[in-house]
Amino acid sequence: MYFTNINLGQYIPTNSWIHKLDPRAKLFSLLIVISCIFPAENFIQIFLWLGVLAVVVKISKISWKILLKSSKPVFFLIAFTFVFNIIAGYFEDNFSLAIYRAFFTSARLFVLMLFAVILPLTTAPLELADGLDSLLRPLSKIGFPSHECSMMIGMALRFIPLLMQETDKIIRAQLSRGARLDQGNLFQRTKAFLPVLIPLFVIIFRRAEEIAIAMEARGYDGGEGRTRRKPLVWNFNDTLIILIAGLTTGILFV
Amino acid sequence: MNEQQKKNNINIKPFIEVRSVSFSYKGKDENAGRTLQNVSFFVNKGERIAILGHNGSGKSTLVKILGGIFFPDEGEYFIDGVEINDIDFHSLRKKIGMVFQDPENQIVAAMVEDDVAFAPENQGLPSDEIQNRVDIALTETNMLHKRDASVSALSGGEKQRIALAGALAADVQCLILDEPTAMLDPKGRLTVEKVLRRLHHDGMTMIQVTHQINAENFDDIQRVIVLSKGEIKWTGTTHEFWDMSESLGFNLPDEFKIRRYCRDHDIHFPFCPSFTSVSPLCQQVDISPQEGRLVTCSNTNSLSTCGEGDRETVEGSPNIKFKIENLSFKYEENHYALKNINAEFFSNQWLSIIGRTGSGKSTLVQHLNALFKIQEGKIFFDGENLPQKGEELQTLRQRVGLVFQHPEDQLFSSTVKEELAFAPKNAGFKNSELDEAVLYGLECAGLDKDFLNRSPIALSGGERRLVAIASVMSAKPECVILDEPLAGLDASYQKKILTMLETLRDKGKTIITITHDLDMALNYSDRILILRNSEQIELGKPGEILEELMEVLEPESWPDVLRISNEIRKTNQDFPLLYNYQDFISCISQI
Repeated sequence: MYFTNINLGQYIPTNSWIHKLDPRAKLFSLLIVISCIFPAENFIQIFLWLGVLAVVVKISKISWKILLKSSKPVFFLIAFTFVFNIIAGYFEDNFSLAIYRAFFTSARLFVLMLFAVILPLTTAPLELADGLDSLLRPLSKIGFPSHECSMMIGMALRFIPLLMQETDKIIRAQLSRGARLDQGNLFQRTKAFLPVLIPLFVIIFRRAEEIAIAMEARGYDGGEGRTRRKPLVWNFNDTLIILIAGLTTGILFV
Repeated sequence: MNEQQKKNNINIKPFIEVRSVSFSYKGKDENAGRTLQNVSFFVNKGERIAILGHNGSGKSTLVKILGGIFFPDEGEYFIDGVEINDIDFHSLRKKIGMVFQDPENQIVAAMVEDDVAFAPENQGLPSDEIQNRVDIALTETNMLHKRDASVSALSGGEKQRIALAGALAADVQCLILDEPTAMLDPKGRLTVEKVLRRLHHDGMTMIQVTHQINAENFDDIQRVIVLSKGEIKWTGTTHEFWDMSESLGFNLPDEFKIRRYCRDHDIHFPFCPSFTSVSPLCQQVDISPQEGRLVTCSNTNSLSTCGEGDRETVEGSPNIKFKIENLSFKYEENHYALKNINAEFFSNQWLSIIGRTGSGKSTLVQHLNALFKIQEGKIFFDGENLPQKGEELQTLRQRVGLVFQHPEDQLFSSTVKEELAFAPKNAGFKNSELDEAVLYGLECAGLDKDFLNRSPIALSGGERRLVAIASVMSAKPECVILDEPLAGLDASYQKKILTMLETLRDKGKTIITITHDLDMALNYSDRILILRNSEQIELGKPGEILEELMEVLEPESWPDVLRISNEIRKTNQDFPLLYNYQDFISCISQI
């Protein structure tokens, strides 16, 4: 496969304690955790966070294998950070410190990203979109399209796997017609990708048009007056997870 | 009592009534080039009708008008006695549901239940009522067991049933179906047809728009309306359509041709095809097992010979084009996509590869132009190892053309000429050689030179398919592989492509098709390769592999003639297994 083995954080319904939490509680907790991993200063903190992550993964009933596979695209980012740090360090006096920093920054990013990937793995796309919608709702008073925004995110999550397949198929078809997608300089390569990009856009536009008609046929008329099959309900557990997140961060920070 | 009143109402006023509707994409004042012209018909409550039309007949536009997406320029459209302009948006959506061809474009949420809930959520219902609607809709479509599944993990037929459930959840009284099974494999098609049939029997009004009638739903449809160039050309009962179909430009499924033949020649059939056992039509033609003259074979010898309709193959020993030895392939550990394939493909021959969805067909053919690299085993092309990289790979891809399913989706140029020049240019053709290659591609696909300066986007679906095939042929490949080349085309374009492939084969090319279309595979190809669960089951001439074929594929996907002749063989073992309609007729007329 040229394109389809990338799993962009697709929902895994294991029905764990974490799955049942309110998406808003999960978003909040993630925000707290991330904002505290960022300023982490030494490897001890990183390892402690890794321990916390292990506990979360355990509770979520999601295997490490799936978690790591879903994080694949993130690894490129981490590798890039690592290389960039090394190169930057080359121009400095203390090279060994630079290498230490490269390792540290990458490790920190790694832990941080894994926490972030757990959210879509344990939260159904629609719930996630609903959670965002509800958190962004106050902004709609100043004209921010919060419903449209969350609808878009929900649809994107639905169609990403499909578009990956389409892209794979188009790449194969153009390779079959002798397209040279991996030769030449950057400009030539970009140009060589037009036979892939143009059909992809045509397909996306056609799909968008048909989806719009299908949505209208099912009575979609914007967010006004819409109800939910599963309205978001804030439970004790949701308050609890935020408290736990806050407490853990507090302890690890000191 | 209530039922009785309802029945009385049926007689008084139709549920759907279209009166002199005209529509043009160019606006109201434009009289010329109208997409729909003076269309009138009605549909009673609980009726199931088919609107038949070829590509470009205006049927997609009619679907959108019936669904209340477009509004007629002229004329009136009544739903349940109310003109469409007087119905507000939300009440309209509770009356009429729509299901389209591509399930992917109708499913809006990533999880099954979330998607089915979309319409009732739009109606602003309370949560428990929404859940109730979802449960009912999933039960009606036999999808309750997949309620927690992710949409991307479903098969095509399952996705289409989710799309159907999504429409039903709005609690509609009428369904508009736009080619709902055209993109599905035989199994998916059957599961969807079963659900539709039951919904109709439970009282749902249905309008099915399609370009060809198929055996699965023909008995269930009560009336047929034929649309041609935006006008209604014919209306009548399904039974009347039996006799008119050819003159109206539509092919009947073989099963119905056989039943018509038997009716006309007063032959009573000793069986009733499993599909139609519940249908009223079946009783009308009287093919009950007990009475009538049984089809018996008095002359066994002549019968056993009449089935051997193998087309004469080109004389002389054909060259081995591909030789595959012990080819295996896996995507992941312990998960074989291909297992120990051994086969030879010849030039001058048309090979069909057959198997259920996921049996490894497309993985196999994508090895032939090295889109998949060989993991285990060997492939020889013209006696030499199949190149896997470098310039030799480019040459291989010029010599082995691959046309994917729905190849028209891969067109990207602004003119047909540029599109056709893409492959030969990549293969190193230049100047006059290149011009000549473009013309060659055009000629192969049977397109005339006027097409060269036209934009591929502006062509019709069938023309785009031809251009897409021409854009592979222009590289002058020695072998052409096509994945479902006929899918979604109407009869006239199907015929064009079949003729083209036959011509190419007779000119010495190797033709390889992957298909679910057994009629094409059996009647046109020289040899058939059957795959099951990544393994090779059989490779042989169409007449010789019928029993293996029947073992590997579900009966629903067998050609009608094969199914019926097999049915006859249950009571009469001397009757041959047949797959060709003409052979079948000559066989039973001998009696």
